[in-house]
Amino acid sequence: MEYIVVALMFVVFLQTRIMDLRRAVYCLGVQSAIIAAACLVIGMSHGGGLHAFLPGVLTIAVKVIFIPYAILKVVHNLQDENEIVSDINVNYSTAVAACAMALSYMVFDSLLPHFEGRDILASSLFMIMTGLILIVMRSRAIMQMIGLITLENGIYLFGLVMTEGLPIIIELGVFLDVLIAVVILVILTSRLRISFKTTDTNELNKLKG
Amino acid sequence: MLELIIALLCLPPLCAVLALKGNFDNEKLHWLHRLTATGVGLLVAGILYKLNPAHPFESEYFYIDALSAWMLMIITTLYLAASWTARSYLTREEICGVLKGERLQTGRYFALMQLFVWTMFIVLLVKNLGLMWVAIEATTLISALLISFKFTRNALEATWKYVMVCTVGICLALLGTLILYYAQITAMGSERALSWLYLHRHAIILDPALTKLALMFILIGYGTKIGMAPMHTWLPDAYAEAPSLTSGMLSGALCTCALYVMMRNLVILLPTAGAELMGSMVLFFAVLTVAIAVPFVVVQRDVKRILAYSSMENIGIMMAGVGVFTAFSLKAVLLHMYSHAMIKFVLFYIAGTIIQEYQTRNMMRIHGMMHDVPHTATFWLAGMLGILGLPPMGLFFSKFYILTDMFRQGHWVAGGLLILLLTGVLIGILYHGMRMLCDIPKRKPLGDLLGKIDVPVLAVLLLLTCIVGAGFEQIPWINNLLNNAVKVIGG
Repeated sequence: MEYIVVALMFVVFLQTRIMDLRRAVYCLGVQSAIIAAACLVIGMSHGGGLHAFLPGVLTIAVKVIFIPYAILKVVHNLQDENEIVSDINVNYSTAVAACAMALSYMVFDSLLPHFEGRDILASSLFMIMTGLILIVMRSRAIMQMIGLITLENGIYLFGLVMTEGLPIIIELGVFLDVLIAVVILVILTSRLRISFKTTDTNELNKLKG
Repeated sequence: MLELIIALLCLPPLCAVLALKGNFDNEKLHWLHRLTATGVGLLVAGILYKLNPAHPFESEYFYIDALSAWMLMIITTLYLAASWTARSYLTREEICGVLKGERLQTGRYFALMQLFVWTMFIVLLVKNLGLMWVAIEATTLISALLISFKFTRNALEATWKYVMVCTVGICLALLGTLILYYAQITAMGSERALSWLYLHRHAIILDPALTKLALMFILIGYGTKIGMAPMHTWLPDAYAEAPSLTSGMLSGALCTCALYVMMRNLVILLPTAGAELMGSMVLFFAVLTVAIAVPFVVVQRDVKRILAYSSMENIGIMMAGVGVFTAFSLKAVLLHMYSHAMIKFVLFYIAGTIIQEYQTRNMMRIHGMMHDVPHTATFWLAGMLGILGLPPMGLFFSKFYILTDMFRQGHWVAGGLLILLLTGVLIGILYHGMRMLCDIPKRKPLGDLLGKIDVPVLAVLLLLTCIVGAGFEQIPWINNLLNNAVKVIGG
């Protein structure tokens, strides 16, 4: 479990530094794969059966294979494949992410002292906050999408550790929602590319007042 | 009862598939849409007839009590109105060149509309809080496609903001739901996970620290979806850029649904988390919502955005009623939901018609409606008086009850502020509305485009608010339903 936590933190930190859209999507895929591994480990430790394996398998199918594939397809059609924010912004977002990590450890130490899964809980909260940071500080549509999925992954991991997984039907519903959300965001992004000739969300500033 | 529910949940998706895949021409599509809505309306009527408000219906996945029945009634009424007026609205859009009249576009619109209503029905019918979350997120996603229906630049911008803000908000609500589930596990094990009824019966043994935490996340999460300030930024854009039929549904039905889910969660969280914490927080945000809406109403130029901000104002009033949390104020909130949904649908529909008639959304360029388009003008005036809460329209009574109870419960500051702010809204809407109605016309409209079938439908909606708002205590069935619904929420 410790290895999973370390790998996860590393990947999420990396996510705040990558500017190339393609690599960011690969990074997201790796992140989801680590979540899937965590799913399987936790599932196995609570005994076998369908409920132990299904979330892990679904995570691999939806978040490791389908979502990166769908996003890569959009990226493929884009002309400029880089995030356009400045280097300073990147450094800021990493610094804020570091603060988020410290904060999430502090929150859990004060809320739930002596909880056995302290590290992984803290890393899930760290992912939630990093997702929010990415949504706020990045301006490319794809990067915001990646932030959203990071946020969702964090919440999913949180649920997994705290409650050993939701009932199967709710779990399926959540996966379905994530799937549809990504499909819709992909449609919107490709429409943005057609209408605005860019996927820079700073261009979306016409509606005011 | 179960058969009725299953039939209710089968009809809309079936219609959606037929609209997309079946090779129907426009005329047949319209009838398919209308007949499906009518069928669903009859099924809902059957459910309401069979249901005894004092004895909720319960099965493995579904649960209907007075509260969900009341919401079911609101949404079905809007759904019926939207589907019977859809034809003349879409035909007009076609004439004005906004929408291409191809079969595919109409089919896509109807399919999305049916799925949208379907997801809202699921929200109201399921018993499990987790599934409710899943359905609420599904409404966001389907309505995103409805908002961006025309795929113009503005529509895309509005949709992007809508999806991003709402999905983040709803994800936080999921976090709250997970914390609630953790509270359930620690208190009584993972059996019957997140079942509303089970949690409701054992609400008192949940851990207060956990329920307080869950309450925060759920308030923020579903609050975003309702359009509570400061998470309201998506609301004016989405309401204004969606096709007018959709805007009416978004404002009337979707917001009601989100508020419903929030109430369901509150029922479980409040016994341990404490109503005072919730009350003061919600009252603050409610007044803030109205306060943010007021300046935008006063300086507004766009005819649909002014309605969107007026929706925010009404959301604020409803939230204030929830914040007071007494039986009386909750009953008023339920009434307010009903009247607001009906009147807002009429107003958005008429706003859409005005845009089609005058080919502009700028209120400064529309004058003399009374003279040029008398039918539209009459409904615009009636709707405006309704939304401002002037008697005899239903909103007068519910607003009055909510404000009365705020003062009776000693929320003097919040109540006083709210009255002051409502005056601002009144001035803003009356000023803009009256200028559109009177004055000397400078621009010739295309004609009075309100269709034959629109007039009775809109008139019925407005009349219903008068009847229900003023006479709910004289109609035993409605009074009984409302009283039982309030009993469900508590207060």
